[in-house]
Amino acid sequence: MSESYCLLLGAIIIALVACTPVQPWGRGNLAKPQMALDPYPLQSALREHNYGSREAAAGGNAAQGGGCGCY
Amino acid sequence: MRSFISRLLPQGEGAVKATPLSLQALTTAAIILPGLIQPVSHAAEEDSADFQYSHYQEGKRDISGMILNPSTLTLNASKLLQNLNPIEVDSLHGSTRISITDRVKFAFNYTQDSWSGATPAGTAPVAAQKNVPQYASKDSNTGLGIGAITGASPYARDGSYLFMDKNLNLYSLIVDRATGALSPGLKNNQLTHVLAAASPETRKQGDFKLSYEWDEAAATVGGGISIENDYESRFVNLGGRMDFNRKQTTVNMGLSYTNSDTFATLDPDSIAFISTDSYEQLPSEVEGEGIGEEGGQSAPSQFHNIAGSPAQIDSTYDSLGKRTGAVLRGNRQDWGTQLSLTQVLNKDALLELGLGYTRSTGFLANPYKLVYRATATFLAGSPSNELASLTDISGVIEKRPDERNQFNWSLGYDQYIEPFDAALHFDYHFAHDDWGINAHTFETDWVQPLGAGWTVIPRVRYYSQDAAEFYTPFLKIVQVLDPSTGLTVASSLDRPQPDNFSSDQRLSGFGTLSGGVTIAKQFAKGIQLETGFEYYTHQGGLKIGGGGEQDFADYDYWVANAALKVNLGALGLGSSRHDGHSDHGDHHHSNSPAGIMFDHTLKQAGDMMVGYRYMHSEQAGDMLLGSQTVSPDTVRFNGCGDQECQISPNFMVMNMHMLDLMYAPTDWLTLMLMPQWMDMDMAMTPLNNDPKQGHNHGGDVHSHQTGGIGDTGVYALFKLFEQSGHHVNLSLGGTAPTGDVDITLRKTHTNKGTGIPIHFGMQLGSGTWDFKPSLTYTGESDRFSWGAQITGTKRLESHNKSGFAFGDIFQGSVWGGYQWTNWLSTTVRGVYTQQGKIRGGYPTLNQTFTDGSSISTPYPYSNHVGPFDFPANYGGQFVDLGLGVNVSIPSGTFAGNTLKFEWLQPIRTDYNGYQLERDGALAATWSYGF
Repeated sequence: MSESYCLLLGAIIIALVACTPVQPWGRGNLAKPQMALDPYPLQSALREHNYGSREAAAGGNAAQGGGCGCY
Repeated sequence: MRSFISRLLPQGEGAVKATPLSLQALTTAAIILPGLIQPVSHAAEEDSADFQYSHYQEGKRDISGMILNPSTLTLNASKLLQNLNPIEVDSLHGSTRISITDRVKFAFNYTQDSWSGATPAGTAPVAAQKNVPQYASKDSNTGLGIGAITGASPYARDGSYLFMDKNLNLYSLIVDRATGALSPGLKNNQLTHVLAAASPETRKQGDFKLSYEWDEAAATVGGGISIENDYESRFVNLGGRMDFNRKQTTVNMGLSYTNSDTFATLDPDSIAFISTDSYEQLPSEVEGEGIGEEGGQSAPSQFHNIAGSPAQIDSTYDSLGKRTGAVLRGNRQDWGTQLSLTQVLNKDALLELGLGYTRSTGFLANPYKLVYRATATFLAGSPSNELASLTDISGVIEKRPDERNQFNWSLGYDQYIEPFDAALHFDYHFAHDDWGINAHTFETDWVQPLGAGWTVIPRVRYYSQDAAEFYTPFLKIVQVLDPSTGLTVASSLDRPQPDNFSSDQRLSGFGTLSGGVTIAKQFAKGIQLETGFEYYTHQGGLKIGGGGEQDFADYDYWVANAALKVNLGALGLGSSRHDGHSDHGDHHHSNSPAGIMFDHTLKQAGDMMVGYRYMHSEQAGDMLLGSQTVSPDTVRFNGCGDQECQISPNFMVMNMHMLDLMYAPTDWLTLMLMPQWMDMDMAMTPLNNDPKQGHNHGGDVHSHQTGGIGDTGVYALFKLFEQSGHHVNLSLGGTAPTGDVDITLRKTHTNKGTGIPIHFGMQLGSGTWDFKPSLTYTGESDRFSWGAQITGTKRLESHNKSGFAFGDIFQGSVWGGYQWTNWLSTTVRGVYTQQGKIRGGYPTLNQTFTDGSSISTPYPYSNHVGPFDFPANYGGQFVDLGLGVNVSIPSGTFAGNTLKFEWLQPIRTDYNGYQLERDGALAATWSYGF
């Protein structure tokens, strides 16, 4: 691991500490469908399957496809 | 993984004598881990049913070869015309997610991919002439190819056709016109892929996930299986979610285990030309083991597996000791674990951090991928500019470490953009493994709602990776000999063969850039349509920091997809649902058997229905002539017209998946759209036991598979008559020829021609516009229901683009049903079907040569035929008995859902010509009206 990743990790921790409390009634924007972490899971599963069978890194994502995907 | 097999052309052309090689086509070995953790979703998932279709299309890859200038007899490197179709994949996905109770949810997914096309088998120096140009014609005097180059063939060759210096630079060959002597020519380090093509194959996967939700936590357990001809993968996973800090912080954990078996049939055409010494050796190569110890003639030629190897090869030999088939077997196991944290940063932003670790052990290579290998021998003390000739440049099956540890870090950020009511997603992933690969992924998309239910999502992604330590596009081995003793001596030039080596482009250094757009439309009543398009380019030059693979390995693809999502929860709240719940005579709950279509219309204007229909049919057992069982020899000598049948089917299965979308614009008219997907699998057995003639692919039985989008039905249903308990419907419409009718088999030893079409019955569509009218009467009284239907298929064209038309079909059905409870009924049906034989056929192959001669070869173009290659052996008259069960859910969460099953048992079969006995058929439907 190079230093840059440690720096990145550090920045992330700082960001976490810096977050402001949001009350449940203040989360209207976060609850919108476009703000879902994966708004279009069917399509993202398909894309991950394509990437996963063409790239050496599994991507750290939840691969939903099995098999060799060798095409 | 699939048994990709290459095309081999045995006609060597050009000045250099060539040894034909049939390459096993290499597909990529990047195994997708199916079991990797499926994190519990942050949002509450609604009950839904989803369908998705996608088409993947790769661009043609560039290949290069040496072209002979006939006047100067010099060879020049040049890009060659590549006439193999690139990889193409049709994928179908269906899933459903339902709440069993408020806290228990169940999800099931089904996916199938069918693919075919050409992909790199390996990589070789252009100067090694592994891609031999094919010419439009041959000069009758010199035998050299002339005219346009029409394609290229992969070859293995021995002999010295390439030179290498001590700095590992390669030099092409020059032939002296006067003496015929061979000498080194220009330096040329250019590389090229050697492609191999495959017949179509299909992968199927089913998996499930069961979850239990608490107020601030959830747990899931899941599992599934993925099945291919040569690869089977089983997986289980566990997941957990916990919410903290008033749900501002969420932690997801996951653990998965995957166990996968490879059983790859190595192409019998090429097994004699490629090296398997990564996994097995001849006894003569094993130290301390004498030749012929067992005293038999055949012992010396039989391979032994290398102890401790992650894969082994099981071979069959004929009585002369010649290898007739080989199957590579390996097992791999993957453990994956993942931890992620989602944090609400403020009222407009979310952050997600992830950490993952995957450990893979066992056979991690691709059994079809080759590495081209050459050994250069220098003499000790020779001048620094000595050139070694490279002999025996041939393919060896790749070998990878039997262990891999991969770590992943991810960062995701979601920002709500108030002025646009849009969301910006940004993701970064970093992956590091002990194969030496570091990979970065940057991905961003913008989700923009446009109003009226429309959303558009543009996205862009960049990926870059380093090469694996053992990646090599071309394996160069160097040894130094003492000129006096002829023995190898240690030298600074030494390059022994490494333990592991792969030329798989996905282990090379490269970058990719992709971008696309998704458009989604949310309709009322919980229906959502999505469509997307993406373009992807893979280039060595896009790697971060440079140093990626040369541009011979560049390629691109596009993917288009369309999805239908039905939110069952929203449907239940639909406006017109209430009256339907209690009305068991409702047309949504038609009590006709599952195998009957077009039997009901929607009740009133504005109604919609979504359904899914599955049909499965099997043939197995004896061959029949008409209705009589006949012996294999009868088939052999009579089933193929004037020819002798070489093969005969012994098992055939067909699956059809159909979406059933209905909409009533007016009370009296219902429109219906029915896209279809097909997949078929046929196993064949040789009738003639000569292994050289048998189409046996290394075994007694082999199979052909096809799959993909079928014909698309469009229908209008009219209510002709409707009175208490009696209904008459007329359906007019037909199918558009969206299914392929030009699927071809790969070229093999027994199928030498280019693009031999697969058997008529395994094409995916009819290829013709077909008119399909039907007239249906249904009635019900108390607990009884009954009906009758006549339906027909009339081909509106005399032949399709491949030259044939299937026979017209007439079918009549009569059925009765009894409703046992308010949710269960059973049916009995009698079915008569008549189908004509195929008209026309695949076209005659015409070849013309420059000397004016020509050859016309009628289909099937070779003597390697079976009864299914002949149009007269299609169609017939059939009587079947159908036994069905219908389940309608009258109330509760799933009210409005209907499930039906029907088994069709053949009662009488009277085939046209020689065909395989019918085993039966299953029809199943799910429909949801609202």
